[in-house]
Amino acid sequence: MNASGAPLLEASGLVKRYGGLVAINEVDLELHPGTITGVIGPNGAGKSTLIGLIGGAIPATQGSIRLNGRDISRLAASERARAGIGRTYQIPRPFLDMTVEENLEVAQYSIAPFINATLAREERDALLARTGLSDAARLPARALPLLRRKRLEVARALALKPRIVLLDEVGAGLVDSEITELITLIRSVADPNTAIVIVEHVLRVVRECCSRSIVLNFGTKLIEGPTAEVFANDEVAAVYLGTGGDRELGAASGTSTEAEAEASVHLESPAAERRVMSPLIATRSESSGGAPLLELKGICASYGQARVLKGIDLTIREGEAIAILGANGAGKTTLARTISGAIAPTSGVLRIAGEDVAGQPPHRIAELGIAHCMEGRRIFPTLSVKENLLIAARNASASACQERLDSVYDLFPVLAERKDHSGTSMSGGQQQMLAIGRALMARPRLVIFDEISLGLAPVVMDKLYEALMVLKQAGMTLIVIEQDVDRALALADHAYVLEHGVFGLSGKPREIAADPRLRHIYIGTAD
Amino acid sequence: MKTSSGLAEVGVLLAAFVLLWFAPSFAGDYGLQIAFRVLIYLTLAESWNLLAGSTGLVSLGTSCFVGLGAYVAFGLMNAFDVPLPLGLACCAVAGGALAALVSPALFRLRGLYFTVGTLALAELLRLIMVNVSAFGGASGIFLQKDPPPLPVLFHYALVVALIASLAITACARSRISVILRAVRDDEDAAAQMGVRPYRTKLGAFILSSALVAIAGGVQATKLGAIEPYGMFGLQWSIDVLSMVIIGGVGLRLGPLVGALFVVALGEALADYPEAHVAIAGVILIVLIRFAPRGVVGFVENLAPFTQKKRVAA
Repeated sequence: MNASGAPLLEASGLVKRYGGLVAINEVDLELHPGTITGVIGPNGAGKSTLIGLIGGAIPATQGSIRLNGRDISRLAASERARAGIGRTYQIPRPFLDMTVEENLEVAQYSIAPFINATLAREERDALLARTGLSDAARLPARALPLLRRKRLEVARALALKPRIVLLDEVGAGLVDSEITELITLIRSVADPNTAIVIVEHVLRVVRECCSRSIVLNFGTKLIEGPTAEVFANDEVAAVYLGTGGDRELGAASGTSTEAEAEASVHLESPAAERRVMSPLIATRSESSGGAPLLELKGICASYGQARVLKGIDLTIREGEAIAILGANGAGKTTLARTISGAIAPTSGVLRIAGEDVAGQPPHRIAELGIAHCMEGRRIFPTLSVKENLLIAARNASASACQERLDSVYDLFPVLAERKDHSGTSMSGGQQQMLAIGRALMARPRLVIFDEISLGLAPVVMDKLYEALMVLKQAGMTLIVIEQDVDRALALADHAYVLEHGVFGLSGKPREIAADPRLRHIYIGTAD
Repeated sequence: MKTSSGLAEVGVLLAAFVLLWFAPSFAGDYGLQIAFRVLIYLTLAESWNLLAGSTGLVSLGTSCFVGLGAYVAFGLMNAFDVPLPLGLACCAVAGGALAALVSPALFRLRGLYFTVGTLALAELLRLIMVNVSAFGGASGIFLQKDPPPLPVLFHYALVVALIASLAITACARSRISVILRAVRDDEDAAAQMGVRPYRTKLGAFILSSALVAIAGGVQATKLGAIEPYGMFGLQWSIDVLSMVIIGGVGLRLGPLVGALFVVALGEALADYPEAHVAIAGVILIVLIRFAPRGVVGFVENLAPFTQKKRVAA
């Protein structure tokens, strides 16, 4: 829009080193008022570090940042916020014990301690309405689920009335209709005096909002230019987009659901695969007398007053892979948590290999062979990668542990390279691999994968789904909960669509993909 | 709504102050002794609650500022014959100044490390007092002039407790409250909202230390003689901490309930000092296990509908 004139923010020669590791290397950035800039790149490319460097949370090793001509390189984060830089955290960090409203007050009162109370309340109400949090104003932030916490992050950043807005993956995990709302929100924030930076893996947000885009790879700027050109670039496709780029391009028709998992090195022979993966996969039980591995009948579950699951019937036999789809708030994660015992069902029957386990504690259900790869990864930050893995195999003998470790390292070689590093020091994609590996270490009979692709680069999602395909070929029973419909359907034998706590649709993936109701459910429930 | 509940709270405090002002005319000597102790403990507990409950700075350095107040008050009164009110004002200044002086080092430490740092500070000051003969060394110093009679001291303690309570009310019922809690919950995220965490913590630390130092001065004046082991003793820090945990950390009424509880328990078991320590320990364990938000938090949970009013009152 207004690309001429002086830049609002000008960063030059930014470098961030952690010991020998260079997270950001000589990155230059110019943000002009009235523009929206997209920053994309693989996990671990340094995108969040860049946000941290501009916002002041991370001190730069080298380089300068000027805001409106004023050098802010040495300013603390608080001073930069007061100068007009608002940011969100990729993993939301609300003040959990405060209400949503008080979370905004922090920003308001810190920049304007003597603001008129009525005016402040009006501003808060307007912000909450814009971010769709009006109904939650008096709730403690702790009560908000992940996606609403992300909205609170945006609201808090906007409460600073910033001139630079840095949005770090605020679109992750949203369904189409919610993305449309997000895009509307971002556009409404954009005015001729504000510059916005969006770090995002949801390519639609970048494509529809950003006039210019930057691709980071290994801490350096790979390419910068108009968004359409960047997306069409071959190099970008190679390091970042993967097959996701192709699907994005062909997504308009919405029917590209062939199981086109390209043959990876692992998939040469299912028999070989089974042999390598066998330490991770429980032997099939003969004793259960044909009872299905998992059986749910009329399962209901609720959080306090809110009834989330309203009668779920589900049967899974050994070796099956099923996909559970649905809009946010439909109850997908609740279903996963109910199966793994984190939530006790209020009514209904939950059987594992014929044994009724409704209401049993999670560790008991884990003993029966159910592993849960939880949403948000839940890596133990104080443990190393190897320790994170071993903690899931405490009852196994040392030799069995080593066999399983070898199999996990075979599945994800990068974990072997990083085995002595802290679990959370790795990139998001590597952490997700660790979370998957950890779920497998217990040698489970069934694994629930909850939103494993959340916040990951398309090329990393490809890798994860290749790994899941390997596991399936080797005979593992899988439940995949996923926002990315195409990937989930490509993997599954059978798919269920959750809608308001019941299965609104179920069937073979091919039928589900072709069913117009799928699209309707995704778009219809979110508003 | 916030301001009105704040004003109501100030009203309650002032009414209680006026009522208690006349206590010496009807309470006996024993009653006054007990009330004096409750008021001193209340002042310490309110200050500690501001640090730990509202700002997230768990301190074991209460004794450091109690002792500092005691020595400053005695030093000024003995050497320059300073009147007591002025001496106490100097205690506040000294307490605040020491807090400001040590904060660049202490605030580099977060969480438990900060706690250990404050403990080290208290021990450091005690060792200095023991070893420097100008401050009386290990045997301490006497107040050369006669201390005021008990009813007068009671009024001093009452005024100090009122000042502390009003200061805490000002912090807890105003816009400062969200800023303090933001720093407590997540310093980095607060900074990203424009809050200056260092200044915020410094402000709370200075205010709290100044109040503790005044209380130390009043307590010392009542004793008439001080020595480093008593005034800088770890017992002050432990007592205050357990009072607030018993009452309810971060809750407005926590310090008052805790102070009353601890003093009452101490009196009830005055003849059995060993049993006193053991029973206090058991009570702490039971509370932390079954009522982590203390007595006040427990009562609030029992009566959720009156919760707001209770906190405000």
